[in-house]
Amino acid sequence: MKTTILIINHNGRALLEKSVPAAEAAARAVEDCQVAVVDDGSADDSVSYLIHHHPEVKVLTYRHRGFGPACNEAVASMVTEAVVLLNSDVVVSEDFLPPLLEDLSRDEVFAVGCKFLNPDGSLTDALGNRTSGEWRRGLLHLHHETDPVKLAETCPQLYANGGAMAFRRERWNALGGFDDLYHPFYWEDVDLGYRAWARGWQVWYEPASVVYHDQGGTIGRLFRNREIETISARNAVLFTWKNLLEPRLFGRMLAAQARWTADDVLISDQPPRARALWAALARVHAAARRRAEEQRERVVPDSTILSRARGKPW
Amino acid sequence: MVTEQAENPERVLLLTFARRGEEDVIRGARAALQEAHPGATAFAVATTESEPALRAAGISELVTLDGSRSASAVLREVAARRPTAVAVVYSDSAWQGHLKLEIVALWSRARAIYRCGPDGSRQAMTRASLWASVAVKGLQAALRLGAGALAAGTAFCWLRTAQALSGGNRADRA
Repeated sequence: MKTTILIINHNGRALLEKSVPAAEAAARAVEDCQVAVVDDGSADDSVSYLIHHHPEVKVLTYRHRGFGPACNEAVASMVTEAVVLLNSDVVVSEDFLPPLLEDLSRDEVFAVGCKFLNPDGSLTDALGNRTSGEWRRGLLHLHHETDPVKLAETCPQLYANGGAMAFRRERWNALGGFDDLYHPFYWEDVDLGYRAWARGWQVWYEPASVVYHDQGGTIGRLFRNREIETISARNAVLFTWKNLLEPRLFGRMLAAQARWTADDVLISDQPPRARALWAALARVHAAARRRAEEQRERVVPDSTILSRARGKPW
Repeated sequence: MVTEQAENPERVLLLTFARRGEEDVIRGARAALQEAHPGATAFAVATTESEPALRAAGISELVTLDGSRSASAVLREVAARRPTAVAVVYSDSAWQGHLKLEIVALWSRARAIYRCGPDGSRQAMTRASLWASVAVKGLQAALRLGAGALAAGTAFCWLRTAQALSGGNRADRA
C-alpha cells in the first residue's frame, strides 16, 4: 500500500528536530513510504531546517490557515493510498507503521489510531487511546482508556486521535476530510471518526503502533488555557448540532445545553460552557448546512454508532 | 462511655463545591468554624466531585448527593441532623454563584450562618441577608436560563428546519 507520513507543522522547528528523524526511520521499515511535512505558514525557520537537514522529505508550504484546512489541502494534493497523519509534537517508534497498515488493509476499516504514550513512556493522562463516547448532559462525553490491560487489545474505537492516525485517502476524500466548522482546533478528529462510523466504516485502535506525544506542545504554545477551554466547549456543542440526528436525543441534549447558562449562578466557576453556547450560535448556519449534508449520507443511526465503536477486540 | 458529641452536641454543616486539590480551602473553612464553635462536630453535603476532597480534608460524616436519591431527600436528611451552624464555602471572595448551596443552607434552619472565602476568612450573616442573596441569585439564574433557552431554541429550530428541508435520512429509511 503506497503510504505517506504527513507531519503538520506550525512554528514547530524545535519539535521537528525530533519528529522528522523518527518518521524517516519508521518510513524506511516499510516499502513505498515517503515522509512529507506541511508547513502551515510558520514564521520560524522550520522550512529552511527541513531543506537543509532532511532533503529527502517533501515539504509543502501553505499560508497559515490552521490544522484542518492544511491537512485537507495536503491530502487532496497527494497520490497515495494511505496517509499517516502526525502532529509535529508526536515522535513515532521505529516499528509503528507495519501493524497500522495491516489493520488499515481490512475492507471495512477507514482509519486506525496509534497508542499514545507520554514522552517518558508513561500512560498517565495520555489522551487518544481506545476512545469511546457517551451522550450525557448535553454533549458527547469522550472517554480515553487508561487501563493498561484494555490498552493491549486491538479493537474498535470511536475516533482516531488526529495527532497520530492512519487512514485511507479515498475514504477521507469521500468524507470531505476535517470539517473547518471546528476551526481552529479540537473535535475535527472526533467528527471525522463519528461520520465514518455513520457511513458504515470502522475506526480501530492499534496498541502495537506506539507514538510519544508531548501534549499541549503546539496548541499550548499559541493559546491561553481559558481560550482553549472555550474553543473546545464550543466545538463540542457544534459537534452535537451537526451530528446528532435522532430527534428525541437531540432535543434532550439541547435542553441540557440551555441549562448550562445558569450554572455559573447555581454552582460556580464552571467550564465556560455558557460562553461556548453563544459562540456556537455564531456558527449555527454552517452547522445546519453540514447537518443537512450529513443526513443525506447517514446509514447508521446515532444510537448504534456508539455501541459499534465499543465493539469486541479482534 | 461519654462521646465527644454528647459533651458538645453542636453540629456544623459545611457546604462546598471544592474538588480534589482544593482541600486547603475546606481545611481553612473548617478551622474558621472551629474558632466560632469549638468542639463542634462537622458534617458536609458532598457531591461525587467534592466527596474525595472532603474526605481528604478530614470530614468523614457526609450526606451524599450523587443522583441515587432525590435532592429533596437530601434536604430532609440535612434538616433532620439539626445543624447549629452552617457555612457556605465560596471559591471567590465576592461570594458569587453557589446558589444551590445557599438554598441548602437556608433549608438546614441552622441558627448561625457563615460564608467562608477561599482564604479561610469567615463572615457571619443573618437569615434575612441569606434570603436576599438567594432571591437575587435566583433571579439571575432565571434570566440566564431564559437566555440559554433562547440560544438553544434558536439553534434547535434552525437545525431541525435545515434537516427537514434536506429530505430523508438514509439511516431512518433503512
